[in-house]
Amino acid sequence: MKRTCARLWLWCAWRWAGNALALGLLCAQGVAQPALQVFAGAASKPALEELAQRYRELSGTEVELVLGGSGTVLTQMRLARRGDIYLPGSSDSMLRAVREGLVLPETERQVAWVVPALTVPRDNPAGIRYLRDLLRPGLRVLLANPETVCLGAYAVEILEHAFSPDEIATLRQNIVNYADSCERTAAIVALRQADVTLGWHVFERWYPDRLTTIRLPPEQVLRAGYVSGAVSRFARDRAAAERFLEFLCGPQGRATFARYGYFESPEAALRWLGAPRPVGGEYRVPPKWLSP
Amino acid sequence: MTPPTPGCNPAVGGAKELRPFRPPRLSILAAYAVLSIYAGLILSTLWFLDLGPLQSVARSERTWFAVRLSLGAATVAACLALVCALPAAYALSRHRFAGRSWVDAVLELPMVVSPAALGAMLLMFFSQPIGQWVQEHAVRFVFTVAGVVLAQFVTVLGVAVRLVKTAFDEVPTELETVARTLGAGPRHVFWTVTLPLARRGVLAAFVVAWAKAVGEFGATIMLAGTMALRTETLPIAIYLRLSTADLGGTAALILMLLCLGLGALAVTRQLLGRATHA
Repeated sequence: MKRTCARLWLWCAWRWAGNALALGLLCAQGVAQPALQVFAGAASKPALEELAQRYRELSGTEVELVLGGSGTVLTQMRLARRGDIYLPGSSDSMLRAVREGLVLPETERQVAWVVPALTVPRDNPAGIRYLRDLLRPGLRVLLANPETVCLGAYAVEILEHAFSPDEIATLRQNIVNYADSCERTAAIVALRQADVTLGWHVFERWYPDRLTTIRLPPEQVLRAGYVSGAVSRFARDRAAAERFLEFLCGPQGRATFARYGYFESPEAALRWLGAPRPVGGEYRVPPKWLSP
Repeated sequence: MTPPTPGCNPAVGGAKELRPFRPPRLSILAAYAVLSIYAGLILSTLWFLDLGPLQSVARSERTWFAVRLSLGAATVAACLALVCALPAAYALSRHRFAGRSWVDAVLELPMVVSPAALGAMLLMFFSQPIGQWVQEHAVRFVFTVAGVVLAQFVTVLGVAVRLVKTAFDEVPTELETVARTLGAGPRHVFWTVTLPLARRGVLAAFVVAWAKAVGEFGATIMLAGTMALRTETLPIAIYLRLSTADLGGTAALILMLLCLGLGALAVTRQLLGRATHA
């Protein structure tokens, strides 16, 4: 009798587990969407996290963010041979991704815009007002690494355009070092380990209590930058990836980026700058800038 | 022909060719598994290696500067760590004092906190008034070679103290007591009894600290920056190559770091073997 009862219990438990599993699978099929994997430059982290959360609420599609330096996440995407969207913080990384066939060029969309400017600690202890102040002896000037960071390359372009070779030599004596990313460049100036850097206008919004942006005259700024996204060559569902890109470029995406200090359109960026300028593009850094 | 009895000693029977097959022990298989994991990683790196990038990396002045800086800074950092570790580890091993458990716990800090976080902590320290005073009146660490050494030193100090303490713990205190009863002072006992008996462990601690310092990246990039021919160490050079999606160059630099690190460790191990058996 005991044995029969035990068998009955076992049979019931088995059936119950089977039914529960079947029901679970059915629900999962009906509700969950395959997750989108976005390889993105870490500079866009706050805005992107907010937008990924919003998109999940709206569409039910999970968005996984793989964040890091724009070049580093591109290499990760290439080696892992996966990822649905590439969203670097700068145009040169996107150009490299297009050149190497890692993204579908026809899907590229510009999402937000930035303009180079001088960035100094909040109270501007060194009293920087103009680009020429960077030539002052003893000033601690930090640049983003022009070899690997788009901002660094744009900064070199600005300096090469504004100063004579002798002045460049003087200025280079003031350069304390290169930072490996936009985020680190802003953080180092915020920690007062440099008196000034050529950063993006948006740095001030990242550290509102610690940084101040000093606008450069329009004739000294040669181009604006942008954040863009494109569907990866490894995307499993191109249509889903394009839908998320569309969302980023739509009113909600633009408004969110604007809340974090980015410009909503190239026109807004150039209006702030005060002159028509090319948006994005690559600048070939002279080799002398790659070492002290 | 009678098959050999399993478990018998073949040397006794004198029939070597009849030695029975014994499946490898699980522990030996585990050792081979460890080897295969790392060998697999090295082979996958070699997959991306091309002759062109390898030659260009090997001929580059920038690469050799990074090599010299990495090896030099790691040697200085490991020596400094050992100098601090010897007395601190001895105190932790032999004495009971107020706050001992706190000192013991803080040794795990570099292992608990990531190197990048340690670098950020250093950068924050130097933006405080005391740190600013050190920068202005003593040594400038931020964005300098001294910063590379400091970042490596802070990362390896805890490990060095922990390993040296273990070496001292293994020296029987009875031997020190005997020396003391024969009239030797505490300092004399340390130099003539404790340290010679712990030398193997102390040297091993130096080697581990040195190897960890050579590969240090997170704290260094935070504190010392990335400028080539100034503060670019070999791990930073690898990271920068990876950032520019130069896989051939990255693989060449990784191979170089591997050769230098493993080569130096092999030489040290040889020297250690001689020293301990002398």
